[in-house]
Amino acid sequence: MVTDVGHAQRVITRTRDAESSGGVFTEIGLVTWRSLVKLTRTPVLLFFSLFMPLIWLVMFSQAFSKVFSQAGPSLPYDYVAVLLPGITVMTAIQSASQSGFGMVADLESGFMDKFFVAPIRRSSVLAGKLLADGLRMAAQTGIILGIAAILTLFGLRIPFATGAVGAVLIMLLAAAFGVAFSGLSNTVALRTKNTETTMMVSFSLTFPLLFLSTALLPKALLPSWVQTFSTVNPVSYMADAARALILTGFDWTAIGNAFLAILAFGIVLNGLAVMAFRAQGK
Amino acid sequence: MSEAATSRPDGKRKAAPPRSSKDSVIDVRHLVKVYGGRGQEEIKAVNDVSFSVGEGEFFGFLGPNGAGKTTVIRIITTLLAKTSGSVSVAGLDVEKDGAEIRRIIGYTGQSIGVDGELTGRENLWLIGRLYHMPNSLVDERVEELLEVLQLKDAADRRAYTYSGGMRRRLDLGAGLVHHPRILFLDEPTTGLDPQTRVAVWEYLRRLHREENMTIFLTTQYMEEADQLCQRIAIIDLGKIVAEGSPAQLKAAIGADIITVRIARDEAFEQSRSRALEIARTIPGVSRATIFDEGVAAYTADGGGTLLEVLRRLDAEKVPVHQVALAHPTLDEVFLQHTGRQMRVEEVKPMSRSFGRRRR
Repeated sequence: MVTDVGHAQRVITRTRDAESSGGVFTEIGLVTWRSLVKLTRTPVLLFFSLFMPLIWLVMFSQAFSKVFSQAGPSLPYDYVAVLLPGITVMTAIQSASQSGFGMVADLESGFMDKFFVAPIRRSSVLAGKLLADGLRMAAQTGIILGIAAILTLFGLRIPFATGAVGAVLIMLLAAAFGVAFSGLSNTVALRTKNTETTMMVSFSLTFPLLFLSTALLPKALLPSWVQTFSTVNPVSYMADAARALILTGFDWTAIGNAFLAILAFGIVLNGLAVMAFRAQGK
Repeated sequence: MSEAATSRPDGKRKAAPPRSSKDSVIDVRHLVKVYGGRGQEEIKAVNDVSFSVGEGEFFGFLGPNGAGKTTVIRIITTLLAKTSGSVSVAGLDVEKDGAEIRRIIGYTGQSIGVDGELTGRENLWLIGRLYHMPNSLVDERVEELLEVLQLKDAADRRAYTYSGGMRRRLDLGAGLVHHPRILFLDEPTTGLDPQTRVAVWEYLRRLHREENMTIFLTTQYMEEADQLCQRIAIIDLGKIVAEGSPAQLKAAIGADIITVRIARDEAFEQSRSRALEIARTIPGVSRATIFDEGVAAYTADGGGTLLEVLRRLDAEKVPVHQVALAHPTLDEVFLQHTGRQMRVEEVKPMSRSFGRRRR
């Protein structure tokens, strides 16, 4: 390059050449790669994020199965089959609650500055992180369903009416639900930059959302005021769709409603997160 | 540095650009940054700061904690929005052309932004790829940097196992993978042991000398600014109080300095005023000023005048705590411009119950 060309021009030409080697998908992919590598290097965290769901799967389903069988007519499946969708939602919410922690850690350590000062879109950073979260949630759901399937070998009655295809759909639903819900955790994280607050807000919402939904019991068995609330609770739509897939079959209305509900609250919560993300340094 | 290390991401060797103070690459005019507002108390962190940095210059911002150094560097590197004023980098406006600016600058922040779960090599690789460099070129650059920064042996260890010095070097490397034209360093040696500090200085000198990189550094160490920078601006309480080469700034004082620290008792204020009066009457003292701990007297003949100062103060029973004679250093420059001694406070990173090792 000749010296009489202005410096800025020289630099721009150079970077434009380099630009060809990656676009927005490369950016997202790199952020996702980083999150997943971190995840696989802390297997303890992975284990404990599955620990609670498994306790529910094994213990709660046992503890309440008698109550359940006495409450309704004799059914061809156990309570665990009713609870299983709820457990997948709970796992997704739990992982979503933690989504903001990584954000706070990166802001505090200064690693986020590395992303912000690089010539990438800010949205790529958020998208890459959410993609990694989604993959993680899908995998967790897959593991839970797999363990549930193994339990059927020991006499637990879980129909798995839609088989492997249904399982994949539940994994997708759980991932989508989790990513949508991550918006809340990330918004709080970005606004407060405090792990404790992030944890408190997300955790304190988890149980009300679960119990005021159809995640743990079918709608007919809920008190009427809870029924009313459950109709505006996105958790219910996710749980209903997953429950249908496990107990009866492909209920496309329920599945469609679930994705619509997830889309709606996902746009709101992640919209807030994007705004909070854009506001960094402003 | 090796032949390969000077190669640009486009594979071409860069020609040495003409060094002239006329082509300024950083231009800051009347920069103001106000934090807070909207119900909160407003804090003017940067108050009408103007300066420029020439192509290939090693420029330093010297000042104590809270002077506004980090705020300025974050505004120039597009990490923080300004309140008013104009800031341009390589002729590009920070507000309008942020993306273009980010391509040509490197930045190493005050806190070490290294991902502890990734290895040293992975950290550098990730940053390189984020700059849209082709894979092969990134690999090449990463190997070079690991070599130069002496991290080769630890390259495949996770960064949380690194010592403070190693992490600082890795962090510095992350700012250099894409071979920036302008490098911004925010207190690059704060918290480092003296040995590592000297090693980092040596590397920065090489970058500047051999690659003609423009370097903008902030520091609270007088010695660092003196050792490295061709030109410095002293910043205090959000304002630039002096600017020039270290030699110029020291020459402006033009004399030896006798600092007399007064005993800290109830009568401190009176003793200090008394000492100032006395100092001003001593022949050979060209100028005397007070500072927070005592009195500073400027003189052409430090050795001779020191004795006289001591004798007079003793005769007048001024409780002298300590006396020092110094040839002008940046410490004295700072003292002269701010009326305070510069104190270096080592800031420990805040610890919260969820540390950086957790996710």
